[in-house]
Amino acid sequence: MTFEEFYGTNYAKMQKAQKQLQDMVYRYEKQVNKDDLNPVMYLSSRIKQPESMLLKLKKRGFEQTLDAALHDVFDAVGLRVICSFVSDVYDFVSWLRRQNEIEIIEEKDYYTCPKPNGYRSFHVLLKIKEGAGKDLHAEMQIRTIAIDCWASLEHQIKYKKELSNEQMIREELKRCADEIASTDLSMQTIRDILMNG
Amino acid sequence: MQNIIKESEKEDALKILVAEDEVMLAKAIVKILKLNGYMAEAVYNGLDALNYIESSEYDMAILDVMMPKMDGITVITEVRKRSLQIPIVLLTARAEIQDKVAGLDGGANYYMTKPFNTKELLAVIRSLEKNQITEEVKLNCGNIILDRKEMELSSPTGCYRLSKKEYQVMEMLINSFGHGIRKSRILEKLWKTEEGDTNEIVAIYISYLDNKLAALHATVKIYLQGNEYCLKEVRNDV
Repeated sequence: MTFEEFYGTNYAKMQKAQKQLQDMVYRYEKQVNKDDLNPVMYLSSRIKQPESMLLKLKKRGFEQTLDAALHDVFDAVGLRVICSFVSDVYDFVSWLRRQNEIEIIEEKDYYTCPKPNGYRSFHVLLKIKEGAGKDLHAEMQIRTIAIDCWASLEHQIKYKKELSNEQMIREELKRCADEIASTDLSMQTIRDILMNG
Repeated sequence: MQNIIKESEKEDALKILVAEDEVMLAKAIVKILKLNGYMAEAVYNGLDALNYIESSEYDMAILDVMMPKMDGITVITEVRKRSLQIPIVLLTARAEIQDKVAGLDGGANYYMTKPFNTKELLAVIRSLEKNQITEEVKLNCGNIILDRKEMELSSPTGCYRLSKKEYQVMEMLINSFGHGIRKSRILEKLWKTEEGDTNEIVAIYISYLDNKLAALHATVKIYLQGNEYCLKEVRNDV
């Protein structure tokens, strides 16, 4: 099923919402000018693939309809903001909270409370209040570069069926996540020392 | 039979406190320890022994039972009450069986009767040094746990894997919970100072740990008091 087939007339608007949010992040980058380290390193975005959407709806116990896709889950439109440091993640979230064009519905701070598998990130579920993407929902995931790499790897497990050593791999991945988070904090510490002289 | 005489000024040599009110005996023990590669100092009463142990400067203590101001068993009881893990060898005169029992129950790691055999004393010290490494796997402190095996620092909300040095500094702090440790003491024990390391490297590692404790919502924190670092319960009145 193509995007147009599944999302129908909503698709064009979803693409506009995607662009609107991207532009918002670019604006943030321009506004914030700290040292030589970019506040945002990478930005990626996507509209959820129909197959993924249907799977998610099924998993969550919702009806597998377009209506449910647009109103019961919030990440049909998704953005991933990748930062260098943990403090950059929190700075961006603070800024986001002050933007009137969006309304934040829910925040999930996985830095404060990591998931059992070791995942760390900051998720923001929002609704666009004004502009081309008005009334559409979106999810923003804000995380550090290192965690992003880890998350991509961890995601791979889901696609490997019947891993004989799955338990061991998951444990090792958790160990890596905890080491990465530790290194992220150490680098943050060094950066704070550099910035405060 | 070899007598390996190595007067040692190695910075990472074990530092032993000798508490014995018989001055000649105390000095003799100190000399024996130094000749065998350890650093050693003597005090001559129990109160000094307790104070010196609380300074976190020593890796091990040899205490006589009969001492003025505070006897050896009371010293041990007080040390353990303060959650200090330092290994302690008790010296008792032959007839005082109840002292051995009270001493061991109070938290001494070993006892030796006087007069003692030098080789035995040195073997006991070596054994305690080794055993320190294979102690309990998890150290609890406030709401955090330091896992020796995995080198992890965790709390109910999260977990970090520490680098080796971070782990060693954290372990030192936990073993001296509530007591200050001199900055340069940490440096001496964990870094080779010939390579030009200064207290600054200790400061950075303390910062790493402090930030991780905060991120873990720990109920303990590292405080700087003069030139000493101290792990304590978080004070809300700062």
